[in-house]
Order: sequence, then C-alpha cells, then structure tokens
Amino acid sequence: MEIINNSKEYDVIVVGSGAGGGMATKILSDAGLKIAVVEAGPYFDPANPDQMTQLKWPWESPRRGSGTTRAFGDFHMSYGDWEVDGEPYTVEKDTSFRWWRSRMLGGRTNHWGRISLRFGPKDFKSKDYDGLGENWPISYDDIKPYYDKLDKLIGVFGTKENIFNEPDGFFLPPPKPRLHELFYIKGARKSGVTVIPSRLSILTKRINNTRGVCFYCGQCDRSCSAYADFSSSSCYVIPSLKGGMVDLYTNSMVIEVKTDKNGRATGVSYINKDNGREYSIKGKVVVLAASACSSARILLNSKSKAHPNGLGNSSNLIGKYLHDTTGAGRTVFIPDLINRKTYNEDGVGGMHVYSPWWLDNKKLDFPRGYHIEIGRSFTMPEYGFGYNPNEFNKFFGLKVGGYGDKLRQDVKKYYGSTIGLSGRGEAIPREDNYCEIDPNTKDKWGVPVLKFRYKWSDYELKQAKHMHDTFEELAYNMGGIALGNKPTKEQKYGISAPGEIIHEVGTTRMGDDPYKSVVNKYERLHDVDNVFVVDAGPFVSQADKNPTWTIMALSWRTSEYIIDQLKKQNI
Amino acid sequence: MDRRESIKNILLGSIGSSVLLESCVSLDKEVLDKIWEYQYGRTPEEKERDEKFLNSKFFNENELKTIEKIANIILPPNEIGNINDAGVVEMFEFIAKDWSTPAHNNYGEKVLRRGVIVFDQLCTEKFGLKLLDCSESQIKLLFDEISYEDKSLKDQKESVKLFATFRGMVVTGYFTSEIGIKDLGYKGNTPNVWDGVPNDVLEQYKGIVSYDKEWIDKCIDQSKRGEIAEWDEEGNLLT
Repeated sequence: MEIINNSKEYDVIVVGSGAGGGMATKILSDAGLKIAVVEAGPYFDPANPDQMTQLKWPWESPRRGSGTTRAFGDFHMSYGDWEVDGEPYTVEKDTSFRWWRSRMLGGRTNHWGRISLRFGPKDFKSKDYDGLGENWPISYDDIKPYYDKLDKLIGVFGTKENIFNEPDGFFLPPPKPRLHELFYIKGARKSGVTVIPSRLSILTKRINNTRGVCFYCGQCDRSCSAYADFSSSSCYVIPSLKGGMVDLYTNSMVIEVKTDKNGRATGVSYINKDNGREYSIKGKVVVLAASACSSARILLNSKSKAHPNGLGNSSNLIGKYLHDTTGAGRTVFIPDLINRKTYNEDGVGGMHVYSPWWLDNKKLDFPRGYHIEIGRSFTMPEYGFGYNPNEFNKFFGLKVGGYGDKLRQDVKKYYGSTIGLSGRGEAIPREDNYCEIDPNTKDKWGVPVLKFRYKWSDYELKQAKHMHDTFEELAYNMGGIALGNKPTKEQKYGISAPGEIIHEVGTTRMGDDPYKSVVNKYERLHDVDNVFVVDAGPFVSQADKNPTWTIMALSWRTSEYIIDQLKKQNI
Repeated sequence: MDRRESIKNILLGSIGSSVLLESCVSLDKEVLDKIWEYQYGRTPEEKERDEKFLNSKFFNENELKTIEKIANIILPPNEIGNINDAGVVEMFEFIAKDWSTPAHNNYGEKVLRRGVIVFDQLCTEKFGLKLLDCSESQIKLLFDEISYEDKSLKDQKESVKLFATFRGMVVTGYFTSEIGIKDLGYKGNTPNVWDGVPNDVLEQYKGIVSYDKEWIDKCIDQSKRGEIAEWDEEGNLLT
C-alpha cells in the first residue's frame, strides 16, 4: 500500500490521548514544543451536547440504557468496550483475558472511577518485603514531587491520614458520607478494617477558573460537561489545543514506529480510519501512550533490520509481565435500610469512603494487599432494575415473586437497601502472563493483532478468598446479610477474569538492567534513545492502587526529561 | 405531540395503526430524526442502529396488545400513571429487535415472542380462550400459578421462567420511565449540593448510625466550594 508522507517534522509525536498521552501533551506543548497527538478514536468533548450523556434520563434511550452497544450501558462514556468492531484480539486456550479499549479523545479517562491513589514507599520496593516480583528502579521520593504537582493541577479530594503506605497529598475536602456509607463505617470499625474518606479526582472545590465544581449528579462515568472530574480530554488535550503547539490527528490508528537504518525512530505510520489509507508523520521523539497492550502491540509490530524482534525488544520482554488488578465483589443486604425515605443521594460519581489495605501480610497466606470500594444501589434506575424485585422476601419468610400492587410495593420497599463491596488487589507479575503478536489474525486494516495468555496463580486466588471472608465479616458487623454463597475453590473464589478490572499494566516494564526490562527509569526504551512509553506499560508492579495517578506522575516526570534532553540536544 | 406520545402512537397504532407505521419506513431521514427524538449522545453508528430498529416492526398488533394486557396486570395503573404512560410496550418492541442477534440468543423470538405463545397456550388450555380474550381474573388465576419460582427446583417450568422474564422487563420498563421514577421516589439526576444525609433521616437512624464530628470536620464546607483552593507547603488547605 502506498504511504502518504507528511513533510512536517514534529518535536514530539504522542500516540494516544488518555492519561499518559494527555499529560505528556500538556507538559511538552506548554514547554513550546511542536506536538502531534495521534488518537485512534474520534474527537470527544464531555461538554459537547451531541456527545453528552450526563443528566440524561433512562427513558431517553429506547433500550432504557441497556448495554447492547456499550457494555456498561447506553450512558457510559466509552466508545469501545471489551470489543472493538473489526479489531479483534485472541486468547490462548485455557487462559483468559478481557481487554477494554476506549477509542476516543481522552481514552478511558472519560469513563474511569476517578480513584486517584498514590503508590506508597513500599509499593515501589515490594520485593524487599516478600521477595516476589521485582523492585522499581525508582522510589517514592523520585515521584512524590510529581504527585504533588498533579494534585494541585488536577484536584483530588481526600484527607490527611498519616498512613505509611497511603501517602497524603494536596487534598480538596471530601464530601460527607452517604447513609449506607455510615453503615459501612460502622461495620468496618467493628471488624478492625481501616476506613477513611475516599480519594477521587473530582472537584468538591474550585481549583481554577476554567473548570467547574462538582454538582453531585454521581455520573462521572458519563464524563462531566462542567469539567468537574478529571478526564484527559477536558483537562489536558482540549486546553492544549488552544495553545497552538498541538496538531491533533483523530481516527488515526498508529501501526508502527518508523526507524532509520541506525534503528532510531523517525516518526510513526498510521491508518486514517475515515479513508482506510496509510499515512506517516515525522518526529524527533516518539512517545507511546496507546495503553499498555496497544503500545506493546505497536512496538512488536515495528520490525526492522535494526530491530528484527520488534522495536525495543532486544530483551524479549515486551508484552511479558502483563498484570491486572485482582477483583472480587459481594452485595450486602441491610434490613435497616428497607422502606427508606427517598432524597437526592447521588453525591459524587463513586464512593465517599473506602478502606485502604489494613493488614500485615506476615500473618497471611498470600502476598500483597487489596483495598475495598463501596458501591450503592440507591441510584437512578436503568435497564435491569427490578429483575429480582422482591428476592429479599425470603429473609422474612415471605413469598418471592408474584405480581400486582404487592410487587410494586416490594420494589419500593427494597430500593436502596443493598451495599456493594468490591475488593481490588495487587497481583504478582509473572513472565508467563503476557500478550504477543498473533501470527494468524489481523484486524480489518491488515495489522496483526494481540494474543493474550494469562492465568491467576495461587497468590491471587487466596487473596480473593480472603476478600470474601472479609466481606462476610463486614456484612455481619453492618447488621446485614452477604448475598449468595461464598464462591468455592472450584469457582476460583469469585475472582475477576484477568483484564476485567481494566488496570492492565507491565508490558514494557521499567528497570536499570536492559536484559530484564524494556524501558529505563525515565520510561525510555533501553534500545533506542528517542522512544518513550508513558502509559501503564512501564509499571513494574501495580500495588493495589488504581494506576491512573501513577501513570500521570510518571508521564509528567518523563516529559520533563524529554524537554531537558531536547534542550541539551541529546536526542 | 411529545416524543413519547408519537412513539407510542406509532408502535401501538393507537391513532390508526400499522398503516402509519408502515408508511414511516418510506419517510426520509430528516423527518425520522424529528419523530425519533432520542437525543442521548449517540455516535453515528449507534444512531443508525437505533433508527433501523425504531423504523421496523417485530410484534404484530395482537402480540403488542397481549404484552400490554400482561404488563397492566403485573403492574396495574395507579394515581401516577400506567404501563402505557411508561412506554413499557414500546420498550418490549425495541428490545425484541435490539437483542435479536445470535449474541443475545435471539431473545426477541426465543424469549419474548415465545412468552406470548406460551401464555396464549396456557390460557387456551385453561379457559379455551386466547389471553387477550380472557378476563383479568382468569389471567390472574394463571399468573398465580406461574409467578412464584421455587428456587429449590432445578428445572423451572418454561412458563415460570418466561413469566419471570416478562415481569423483569415490565418492572424495568416501568421504573425506568418518567412516571415510574416518580412512583419510586428517586430524586436525583439534577444539579445540587450534597451536604450530607438530611437531618430527619439521620434522626430516624439515631442509635443505629450517625455522623461523627471528627469525620465531618474534615469534609467540604459547602459555603467555600467556590473559593479557589490554595495550600501551604505541608498540603494544608488554606481557603
């Protein structure tokens, strides 16, 4: 196929516009560098009325919000989910992996939970504590200044708690707990489980004059039209476009990084999805931020004489050490919460309180920890509401089922009487959990796709078992009943399938040793001095913390390094 | 005519029918956009899918009326409104097409249409009449038999399973409608300032749960939400 070359040369080409790419775009363009942002999906602005789903009612969708075209429901703000039309991936037999892709400006930051946790000092050096996995080549002190700057730039609410491995930051004040969260606090305290205000990047207080303040609709997963939650689209890329230093290429899917005969990057080639043609653009530096697995795919597909194995893959480790957060969940029925008075309890999009990891692994049969997230059911009904309208009748010796006004009364009686508990834990990265190029499958543009191979080990399974034991104790201490049976060993203790928590990291891991890692501590490929990876690929381990805040802190740090290196004419 | 009225009229044929429905297929896109005012942030591909389904017909008139009759018994009208106001039958019609793919195991045909057939058969066996021709009390006699699941049974009867599905669809359809949400009492989805559980509710839960002062003191003072945040070097909020 003929490639259409663009003669313009950029200082930096950023591939992907999510958390890592958006952050890099902001820092690099603020420094006066000429940037191309290449995004595989369309333009998206949470404030665009034609794209907005915030504050829509369920009846505004003919399927009442059901998840036919968007896996998490009609109003969820993600273009693309476990499947993307024409862009498959494959999974090795007897293993599993689910891969969520959001193809749009801002990527998955438009739908995420806004849980913004710093990694703690221990999280960068876990191997020192349990001998498993690998330490990061950097420490908390290296990244702390960037977390601090990020807190102030983006805004995150939380409280100072002085917990060693849950570092405090520059917080906005949190919202008051909801009623069911008071039940959780009570249950957690009785169970000896730490409980503190949650830490979410939602503006409970004004942070500047360009973004709005939260108006408590509880719909951050729909992306905020007032820009009161953090999305890379609204907070990074859209403002950066106004500075005149950024060219945005949308619907442009990068296929490979182009290199010269010495193996240095000269730019990227991409498919314009609107016309199916291949184009190339030139840049002095290439920053990959397509998401951990997509960046791995691009590198592995970038084969050349200098890099026969794929770009930056002399270690053969690209795609390896893929790991996702572990997850298990349980719903708790609280009889005290039946026949509730209704009032507007939407609050922020997500929990107002949570439990950071509170135990010492020396006394446990699994390594690493998990945190507990609290969900609610006193929410706006969407498709699926009322499918088991009076199942809880069984707890009162009453008949389950029926119809008529009695049924209607039951629906109202139980509305808002459940609490969801979700454990989110740290997995141990393993070389034999990976993604690689599937030689037999191509996407609709003819580009080879990824094949996944992923299995949980006993470490993760035991962690999931512990989560359920904890949920049952919490349920009891809240005065509630944990619903359903505790999943058995055969049911893998109810652990989520790998990928399902959408925290996949580790495919281009960071390290000082080029034989044991793909990028160095500045997220630069060991093999090439002008290619960087700023998504979650470089994560050596992921703690039980949601990755976004760390992706961005690292991307900021890397961007400053790039600016410095360009100034010194080292790259 | 508001949007829901027009959809209702077209799908239920209450202003004359399938003639209008069939004629709509030939209307041009501009007109259709006006009729189908489902504006909820769709991508072009999603919009196309919606339009395709909104402009085709799955159930016949008899089936739609049967569903309407069943739905009105599952959730009878009250002072707030009824099944028709809630657009429940239109939702059945749409979902039947939306889920008619192999991925949904042809839900429209295998579950929804099948339900109508099975309920009709049971009415015929019991009363010698199709469901539509039965009286409400006759239909209730049937529903009394099939509306309670016995979870201890491994294999539920097909009719029991189908009833549970219809009930789920009706309850979901009703409570996701404007009147259903009013009936339920959900008060959100509107800009507001959350400043904690209302006092009268806290009063109700006194002795069970309550706010503790130390926690509340750390929370946002909503009178200062508009002031731009500033911190000292230690991260203490100054504003």
